[in-house]
Amino acid sequence: MRFTTPTELADKSATLASTDRKIKKRVLVCSGTGCAALGAFEVFDALVEAADGAKLDLQIELAPCADHAEPLYATKTGCQGFCQVGPLVHIQPDDILYTKVTPKKAREIVEQTLQQGKVIDKLLYKNPETGERIAERSKIPFYQNQTTIALEGCGRVAAESLDAYLAAGGFAPLAKALTLTPEAIIGEVVESGLRGRGGGGFATGRKWRSCVAAEGDERFVICNGDEGDPGAFMDCCIMEGDPYRVLEGMIICALAVGAKRGFIYVRNEYPRAVSRLQAAIDACRAAGLLGDNILGSDLDFDIRISRGGGAFVCGESSALMRSIEGNVGEPRAKYVRSVAKGLYDKPTVLNNVETFACVPAIIRERGKWFRQLGTEGSAGTKAFCLVGKVVNTGLIEVPMGTPLRDVVFGVGGGIINDRPFKAVQTGGPSGGCLSEEHLDLPVDFDALTAAGSMMGSGGMIVMDDHTCMVDVARYFLKFLLEESCGKCVPCREGIFQLHAMLDAFAKGEGKTGDLAKLERLAEDVQVGALCGLGKSAPNPVLSTLRNFRDEYEAHIERKKCPAGVCQAITTFLIDAEKCTGCMLCIKACPTEAITGQKKKLHAINQELCTKCGACRLVCKDDAVVTT
Amino acid sequence: MEKTYTVIPKNCTGCRTCELACSMVKGVDGNLGHSRINIYPTGPDRFMQMTCMQCIDAACVSVCPTDALMRNKETDAVEVVEERCIGCALCETACPFGHIHFDELKGIPLKCDLCGGEPTCVRFCPHRALEMRR
Amino acid sequence: MTQILIDNRKFNAEEGETILEVARRNQIDIPTLCHHEALEAVGACRLCTVEITGEDWNGSTKLVSACLYPVEEGLIVQTRSEGVLRLRQTVLDLLMARCPESTVIRDLATQHGQVTEYQQFTDGSKCIMCYLCVRACAKLGCHAISAVNRGTLKEVAPPFHEHAESCVGCGTCATICPTGHIEMVDTAETRTIWKREFEFVTCKVCGEPLITKAYRDYALENRRLPNDYYTVCSACKKSELSGHFARLSL
Repeated sequence: MRFTTPTELADKSATLASTDRKIKKRVLVCSGTGCAALGAFEVFDALVEAADGAKLDLQIELAPCADHAEPLYATKTGCQGFCQVGPLVHIQPDDILYTKVTPKKAREIVEQTLQQGKVIDKLLYKNPETGERIAERSKIPFYQNQTTIALEGCGRVAAESLDAYLAAGGFAPLAKALTLTPEAIIGEVVESGLRGRGGGGFATGRKWRSCVAAEGDERFVICNGDEGDPGAFMDCCIMEGDPYRVLEGMIICALAVGAKRGFIYVRNEYPRAVSRLQAAIDACRAAGLLGDNILGSDLDFDIRISRGGGAFVCGESSALMRSIEGNVGEPRAKYVRSVAKGLYDKPTVLNNVETFACVPAIIRERGKWFRQLGTEGSAGTKAFCLVGKVVNTGLIEVPMGTPLRDVVFGVGGGIINDRPFKAVQTGGPSGGCLSEEHLDLPVDFDALTAAGSMMGSGGMIVMDDHTCMVDVARYFLKFLLEESCGKCVPCREGIFQLHAMLDAFAKGEGKTGDLAKLERLAEDVQVGALCGLGKSAPNPVLSTLRNFRDEYEAHIERKKCPAGVCQAITTFLIDAEKCTGCMLCIKACPTEAITGQKKKLHAINQELCTKCGACRLVCKDDAVVTT
Repeated sequence: MEKTYTVIPKNCTGCRTCELACSMVKGVDGNLGHSRINIYPTGPDRFMQMTCMQCIDAACVSVCPTDALMRNKETDAVEVVEERCIGCALCETACPFGHIHFDELKGIPLKCDLCGGEPTCVRFCPHRALEMRR
Repeated sequence: MTQILIDNRKFNAEEGETILEVARRNQIDIPTLCHHEALEAVGACRLCTVEITGEDWNGSTKLVSACLYPVEEGLIVQTRSEGVLRLRQTVLDLLMARCPESTVIRDLATQHGQVTEYQQFTDGSKCIMCYLCVRACAKLGCHAISAVNRGTLKEVAPPFHEHAESCVGCGTCATICPTGHIEMVDTAETRTIWKREFEFVTCKVCGEPLITKAYRDYALENRRLPNDYYTVCSACKKSELSGHFARLSL
């Protein structure tokens, strides 16, 4: 159906919403990348099949039904966040969350829960601390401390269905925006205090306003979906799980700045994001939500997907624009800003996926509402990908200003095996590592920058005491070394030399004075590089140097890796006092380097030991030590 | 332009002092440069001085992709702006008279620039075979 | 017209001019490697970095590349501040480690006094990724080569490292290369560059090689010159025409 007026859209949304309200039981199967990899699609198919077998009328589309019908409905949603315990099946309205669901459990779910309304205890989330099973999703600590705006629909509505998005009130903000003047829309965004979620943290409303002020016969809106940080997948989840919200945000932006054409730059490694976005674009075109005279108004706007080849640097705005133009994706100096001279040298608004996903809610609830969430300088909420040595890994969204401790220990559930917390890396490879003293830091743009790290796009990698900070810096530098575009000398050659030095430290080949050399070069790259990526590339080195200098010194002066990670300078030993002779390490050792008998002290044959650390990982008594 | 560079072939004795003078002033660090003027014998005791004619609609100027050849408004000479030259050598082949020499080592074309209005060759010609005429 | 301050001296500048343009016009030396007046600035070498500030910047300063930064009223530029000299030195130190064989780099580094020695590359490459060749090729309209790969593996090459199809063998890239990295081999009949062999047009009179046939065809097509332009070498043109002119002058 093609909507020619906002009223038609509202009518349709109302019809769909009333159909939606009749649904007696709603089965939401998470089909985010994590759950999909764990077999969520098979789970969904098995559920449909089981319902069929039980002669249940399980609908998979929002179809009109009789007034007194109480349909059952199942759908695949975007990421529900709790990747650690996927595949997830969320059943509404009872708010039951089943974790680690396998296709074999499908019949049980259909028979017990859908038919008899019973909760299957063993599929529920088990709180590792108390051991109690929690039935309701909203009572699970992981979800309790979250507030979702960008992820509002992600994991709650069918990812691929325009009808589902409309039923949930989608595109009503666009209809509302069409009644506002462009300046009023921008005013609303300015008032919301929304700042770019992609890393820079530039005020979104101000960006839109300067684009309007810039001279040009044509304007562009670009959505940056080239998320490339290791361990970050927020944008991927939003594009996969709620593509219509991103499109709506872009259309509202186009309306505000007067753009006719838009681009979504998605890396090709996100095939599901590409296909779902494309399907969403096609559906919007057919519904008159994209193309000429959107909803019968004067607004003409269309969006094209531009697929990136997987270059990290293409996430940098100027490189991204070169890439869309068909040139080599290399950044250029932004002394003339891209809002004035961006894509094809025309005024361009470029925002990140998450930023656009926040826009519909801001228009719907007004800027003031968004503003009162978060902190003074950073309004609203922020999505993070919590990964690393943390109990609950997954996709989360918390209000800005939430203390780091609440994120890592509250939502994240603390460190795996209750090991001591050592550091958390925020902001992706070019962010920084924060130590224990920063745990009470409120997570917002300014606080993170002041602490020597950055918000970045929202990756959060938690590390325990078995993580070597020199090794961490070396890992990120290696990533940046391979991903530097190589255009300017400080970044191309500087990162290479920084990495070479860290490599030497890890091998125990560092010399006194090398730290000063490392620090100087890192500082020079920071000020001398051409683009933001180059300028932030030394952050892993500088932040670990600032917070964990003693570890560097141990590597250089004592030729020892305190965390026991850098293999060349680490020796694994068994502590005679702690070893209980359980033989776990003997079983775990891949090279049969450990000998010993049950309940007798074990020993490591250093000639056979490859220092992989498998023994330390399995030992329950902390008896494997490193020197 | 007050004066025009003029060759008077009948006065030329083929002594090549002009070539030497040009090489001296256009050379670098005491080395002789490539002379922008050349003397060709055209018959018994007859010589012809060949040098850039600073054409009005110059082929070298129009062929240059970077506007590295520009006319000096004071002297009317076509001059090479070395900083703008990318070394494509199109000017050398484009000159119908062969008056631009592309220096492979320096990567720039060499041509007569009238020495800024007072050509050295004119000053040194012992036989008044080269003149700046009103 | 705006006024800016470079090294405590006042200069007039036109709107849209870069710091480097104003400085060069006034004989203020700012070293560059990738800059060329006729080519679009890329800001790759970072050697032209200068320190800028403004009266209302509350004392904060910024390091920017002079070749790209457009002047603005009241801009205060330092071309030899501590920060500038330190970065310049680091850039040269890094390039020295990258291509120790290059005389251009060695001379510049000596001039600025090398301070830190970094791990040297030993592949003998002299390329400093200044993009002069790439930009010159684009300027001529051929676009036969471009920068490929990333990071330290970045290099200038034809598409897919195959023989350069749109190359006409003009040799401009080899001429403009400041370090002599681009390999071009000329014989009496042929020129070899970017894995392609080009035949020369030879002088009708003396047989000396002129330019490659492909370049001639390209120039004739794109530069609107008469078809018989590229047949005789400069020396023979002069020699032939001298007789003609002699007859005219009689």
